[in-house]
Order: sequence, then structure tokens, then C-alpha cells
Amino acid sequence: MPVSPIEPTTATGYLSGSEALSALSGLSPAAAPASSGQVGASAFAEVLGGAVDSTQQLQAASNELTVAAVSGDLADIHQATIASTRAATTLELVATVRNKAVDAFNEIMRMQA
Amino acid sequence: MTFDAIGIAGTGLTVHRKWLDAVADNLSNVSTVTSTDDAAFRARYVTVAEGGGDTPGAFVAGAAWGSEEGRLTYEPDHPLADQDGYVRYPDIDMSEQMGSLILAQRGYQANAAVVDRAKTAYEAALQIGK
Repeated sequence: MPVSPIEPTTATGYLSGSEALSALSGLSPAAAPASSGQVGASAFAEVLGGAVDSTQQLQAASNELTVAAVSGDLADIHQATIASTRAATTLELVATVRNKAVDAFNEIMRMQA
Repeated sequence: MTFDAIGIAGTGLTVHRKWLDAVADNLSNVSTVTSTDDAAFRARYVTVAEGGGDTPGAFVAGAAWGSEEGRLTYEPDHPLADQDGYVRYPDIDMSEQMGSLILAQRGYQANAAVVDRAKTAYEAALQIGK
């Protein structure tokens, strides 16, 4: 199972405008933050949809392994339990992301004069 | 994979399960007698290779085998004894196998603990900001 490489950190942009701070510390001004590319309106929906799809794949794999485990076709019991752990954790991740998005949406909907 | 500590610990679990199997095989045959015409039961040892690059973890590379000479033992009453009264016992050291058994069991438990802890850690990450 491949480990994805750690991605380099990018500037947050918190300090980009604060010349005072860089003058104080004697540092050169922080590099301008990489402007995030214009993302389509449906980008988040696509990401969430992809996450749900991959969660479904993990759950299908987990189900297959569970059936294999109870029918005695599985040499390694831990394969089944690990698959189910992975599926459960991924589902929790997707649910957390969805809940955050719904919270943000509700927060915006509550904005009124 | 997304949750990789879990998958890496899974490779360790597999390795230790196979080690347990090998020890079980050796212990179950510790008293298997053969005649001097045949090879003795050969102890099975698991050889492990570390993963690398895209596949971290530990993997069973193959099996190594103990001596087929075994221990020549003088048991003239044994039905399999040759004309000099010798039979072959496998060259398996019981105490060494019991030590390996404990190592394999503890290693398996350690990897199972890694899976649990990794899951708890990931769940903690999901609680951030709640």
C-alpha cells in the first residue's frame, strides 16, 4: 500500500501584507501566497461525490472479506477487520466533511440584515 | 491508501500470522519419527523481507528449512528403527520454538495495537474543530 509523499507546505498568506512585521524581524517580505486557481462551482460536489464512491468501494471490499471470513475462505482474519476499520474511518471522514459543509451552508443562510 | 498506518500494520499482522503457522507446524511435528532411509521432518522457518518504496511494511519472502538429517536416536524397539536400532527425530529445539511462539504472538498483538491506535488517532483528527 503506497504512502503518498508529504506535500510541501505552501504559504498561508497570513503575513503577506504585514510589512511592519517583516521590517521588525528584518526578514524579506514573505512570498506572495499562491493564488488559488478559480475552481468551478461544482468542484466541491465532485470531490464529495468521489469520496462517497471510494467509501462505497471500501465497504464493498469489506463486505466481501467479511463473507469470506465467516465462510472460512479467509486465511487472515485481520484482513476482514482491517478492511472494515478502514471503511468505517473513511465513512466517518466523509461524514465529517459533509457536516462541515452543511454547517457552513447554514451559517451563510443565517446571514441577514 | 488513505489510512496507511492501518495497512502497514496489516502487513505485519500477516507476517506474524505466518510465523505463528510455521511454529505451529514445527511444534506439531516435534515428535514425528522417520526411518533412517527417509529425511527427517524439516523445521520450517519464515524469511521476511522489508517492503520498500510504494509498498512499505514487512512481507514474507519465503521459507527456510531446517536439517533433513534430524537427530539420529537409538530406539531399537521402535517399529521404524533400522538394523542398528536408529530412527530420525526432527532437529527441532522445543525451547527455541516456544521462544519464537512468544515473539510471533507479541508481534501480532503489537501490530493489532497499531491498527487500533491509528484508528483512534484518525478519529481524533476528525474531531478537530467540533
